[in-house]
Amino acid sequence: MHGSLPATPQRRPGFASRLPLLLRLAFRELRGGLRGFGIFLACIALGVAAIASVSSLSRSLTEGISREGRRILGGDMAFSLLQREAGAPERAFLESKGRVNVIATMRAMALAGEKGSGLVEMKAVDGGYPTVGMLETDPQLPPADLFAERDGAFGAAVDPALLARLDLKVGDRVTVGAANVELRARLVSEPDKIADGIGFGPRLLLSQDTLKATGLVQPGSLVRWTYRLTLPAERSTEEALTQIEAEANRVLPEAGWNIRTRLNADPRFARNIERFTQFLTLVGLTALLVGGVGVANAVRGFVDRKRASIATLKSLGAPGGQVVLLYLTQVMLIALVGIGIGLAFGAVLPFVVTGLFGHLLPIPIQPTLAWSELGIALLYGVLTALVFALAPLGRAHDVPVSGLFRDQVDPERRWPRKRYLAALALTVAALVGLSLLAAYDRRIALMFVGAAAGSFLLLRLVALGIMALARRLPRPRRTAPRLALANIHRPGALTPSLVLSLGLGITLLVTLALIDTNLTRQLTQSLPERAPSFFFLDIPNQQADSFEGFLKSQASEAQIERVPMMRGRLVTLGGRPVAEVKAPEDVSWVLEGDRGITYAAKPPEGSKVVQGEWWPEGYRGRPLVSFDRKIAEGLGLKIGDEITVNVLGRNISATIGNLREVEWRSMGINFVMVFSPNAFAGAPHTHLATVTFPNGSDAALDARILRSSAQAYPMVTSVRVKDALEAVNDVVSQLVMAIRGASSIALIASLLVLAGALAAGHRARLYDAVVLKTLGATRARLLSAYALEYGLLGAATAVFGLMAGTLAAYFIITRVMNLSFTLDLSGAVLASALAVLVSVGLGLVGTWRILSQKPALYLRNL
Amino acid sequence: MGMQDKAIALHDVDLSLGRGAARVHILKGISLNVDRGEAVGLIGPSGSGKSTLLMTMAGLERPDSGKVIVDGTDLAGLDEDALARFRGRRIGIVFQSFHLVPTMTALENVALPLELAGDDEAFERAEAELQAVGLGHRLHHYPAQLSGGEQQRVAIARAIVPNPAILVADEPTGNLDENTGGSIIDLLFALKRDRGATLVLVTHDLNLARLCDRMVRLRSGQVEAAPAPTVA
Repeated sequence: MHGSLPATPQRRPGFASRLPLLLRLAFRELRGGLRGFGIFLACIALGVAAIASVSSLSRSLTEGISREGRRILGGDMAFSLLQREAGAPERAFLESKGRVNVIATMRAMALAGEKGSGLVEMKAVDGGYPTVGMLETDPQLPPADLFAERDGAFGAAVDPALLARLDLKVGDRVTVGAANVELRARLVSEPDKIADGIGFGPRLLLSQDTLKATGLVQPGSLVRWTYRLTLPAERSTEEALTQIEAEANRVLPEAGWNIRTRLNADPRFARNIERFTQFLTLVGLTALLVGGVGVANAVRGFVDRKRASIATLKSLGAPGGQVVLLYLTQVMLIALVGIGIGLAFGAVLPFVVTGLFGHLLPIPIQPTLAWSELGIALLYGVLTALVFALAPLGRAHDVPVSGLFRDQVDPERRWPRKRYLAALALTVAALVGLSLLAAYDRRIALMFVGAAAGSFLLLRLVALGIMALARRLPRPRRTAPRLALANIHRPGALTPSLVLSLGLGITLLVTLALIDTNLTRQLTQSLPERAPSFFFLDIPNQQADSFEGFLKSQASEAQIERVPMMRGRLVTLGGRPVAEVKAPEDVSWVLEGDRGITYAAKPPEGSKVVQGEWWPEGYRGRPLVSFDRKIAEGLGLKIGDEITVNVLGRNISATIGNLREVEWRSMGINFVMVFSPNAFAGAPHTHLATVTFPNGSDAALDARILRSSAQAYPMVTSVRVKDALEAVNDVVSQLVMAIRGASSIALIASLLVLAGALAAGHRARLYDAVVLKTLGATRARLLSAYALEYGLLGAATAVFGLMAGTLAAYFIITRVMNLSFTLDLSGAVLASALAVLVSVGLGLVGTWRILSQKPALYLRNL
Repeated sequence: MGMQDKAIALHDVDLSLGRGAARVHILKGISLNVDRGEAVGLIGPSGSGKSTLLMTMAGLERPDSGKVIVDGTDLAGLDEDALARFRGRRIGIVFQSFHLVPTMTALENVALPLELAGDDEAFERAEAELQAVGLGHRLHHYPAQLSGGEQQRVAIARAIVPNPAILVADEPTGNLDENTGGSIIDLLFALKRDRGATLVLVTHDLNLARLCDRMVRLRSGQVEAAPAPTVA
């Protein structure tokens, strides 16, 4: 009898019916549990959480700023002028648009008799303050009581920091300029604080009458006048704001004011947030990529464990492609769980931060479910999982069914088929594209991509090199070294995954350690020996000579330098309005806001003319300007180009006559732009002076100079360099903390990956260890062989990590942060030695557990 | 009768495995026909090439030269995916170590080939097949919860459920005790008879081979003269 079968119509399953089948089978297979996927889950969740947290926190901050734009600005728009009050036409223009409030800010010295003096950031407000939000003081006083003149003293609210610094209490009096000021309350919160940026001294909040009474407002003194415009509610639309801004620039082109609207209340702060966010996102991406190695290891182990199931499925009629899809579905389902955990963490974080610390933060934060940012983090997670899973999964395609019939030697690792390599290339391109698209600064993102690709490639090569070397070395006679060498190069050795995970970890550690030491050094030790101890600002022109004489009498051995100074804003560059100039990141600060400018008959000290000629003595021709060479190049300027600056409401044009090279870090007086003296003939201005002690100064001398200068020249603001640096130091150390926090996530990821790689190695090694033990190898001998293996690998990898990390740190310090680089490897060497020790330790702990098992137990199952 | 009419027709099949110095010539010019509905027992010492021959018949190994025609289809003309689908429909395989998917229940294991072929009634048919092998009460058990004999029954149900024209079995009782092995063999032959399928059985057990219509003895990759068949 011929057993021809009933010809059941066999249709090829269509895509629609295949998808549910895939999912169905995937879920069925996943019933076996997530064994072996712990590290995978942790790596993905950690990386995604880092990226999601950083971006959703930063979004909450920018959201807070834009939502609180009116509060920060103190109105719908702010027009600020430096060194002068608005003239009648300007005032009339503003008043025609809405309600106008005036704020004046300037630095000054507060003198507290015998208790000394301190620099304060004065803010003089009018009767309408604050227009938006609440002024909180302790005790809470109505503005009239707070600021009014009473018993020969004006009232003020003060930052508690000043009280602490000068040992004062509420109710005490200080002198500011010619005015007596009674400190009537502590300042708890100022609704518009961040609009004023980082100050060098504590805030002193007082009225405009008080400011007048101080007598400090003189032509040329550094007062910033801000006119806050509040539009009637029905006219406060976004279009109206843009319209008014355009109109102001059109009608009053010479005003030279800086206009901000509530839509963009603090562009510089927002930009800094973005810049810092990018940096932290890259750190998060590093964590994700390092974790990717864990993903790849986990997937490779997964495919190995599933070989029998894969072969069985193929024997039952599943084509290789379908098998790969099935296991890819499983891997991505697990990845989605990890991504979900990471996203949830990132989404919740802004709410938790606001809930716990919201009231402590000086900046408004509006906890936001940042969908688009979370979406990007999700994409990063999915793409990273795909990039690292595709290659090992692609190998499942060619798992032979014949393995079910006979025991096979581990098949040699072949490249996956072309279609999987193509898919891999596409995913890598998508990941690179995403990191470039989402980047604030493409250049840095590109450098990051290059560094990441380079590290993976190099570490692969290092692993291959170590294996090749181990293969070629003569075989040692003693068992332990022989075993160790063989373990390093045999097929399926731990070497590639160990070198990759440990290498990435050490590279990261070294990079961070070097950046850390360089930043710290930059702020503390690298202060040039001849750095000035004091800056004196706002020295009135007519008192300049007498003040210099006073300084000489106070500090006879000190070197005193004095230059005229005014503030100005660049308006045009080579005929083009500044707003249209697209300047590179590292020089764009020159175009932002006001710059100090000066004039000089001779080239200033600490700089030399490198191109063109300095103007002759007594030059009377068309105004000339000398530019810093690097900045001129960055802005695309050359000798002969014309620039325009607005000083005191006047536009002054000058031709670039020469370029200088400036030694900025000498901390002497220097300016980007130095004009020929005739450019500002007759313009009111003040002077800037520095005092430098050749042999350094001490605190007592500093205090004496501060006090006597504040008494004799109340108009002059003194800045003690040490205090100013401390203020900057505080900010930078907070940034360093944030960087360390984010980086530690990347380090944890690399530790996880390392632990995972070692654990996978242990499973594979169980057989060897048990057989060797059966054959009489003692535990000590096996252990010393393993210790030797891990130690050799660790040391070789550490050497690479030190080199790669140094290179990376060098690039970040010199190219991204634009600082000078000093190689101090002590911290880095210590860190990498520690990393090697930890990894050898981790490896041995796992091995010891294996060695403690009874062989019979395993031999029965092998 | 031409090669196309046979259930399995092998003509001058040569196969070597491994590379370089490790290359071993396993099948040496094997020609063999199996009629439709016939049961053939492949016997021979270890390393004689029995399993490899079986795999070649199932399209799991491609010969270096020679022709393999299974159920009228020349396997050389099928690419890998087509081969997989062909196997899923026409060939049922029973392994010595069962090879059930450990994360799937008995029912799901048996339904698997039908699901892969896109059969909407996969589960109904799988359940019927499990009833037929006497495991109607074990549908939702996982392989680890089943005895060796039960696992092999599930494997047989899985092999037979797509109504394949050809059943190949590689030492199906090799991992079972004598009693259990005996009942598995009874089951296998009963199913073969009922469905009219062709059966190729690899075994070391001469008694088992004698149950087949014909015995084929392999030695060093070549077919030896077959002893006279004893009809079961």
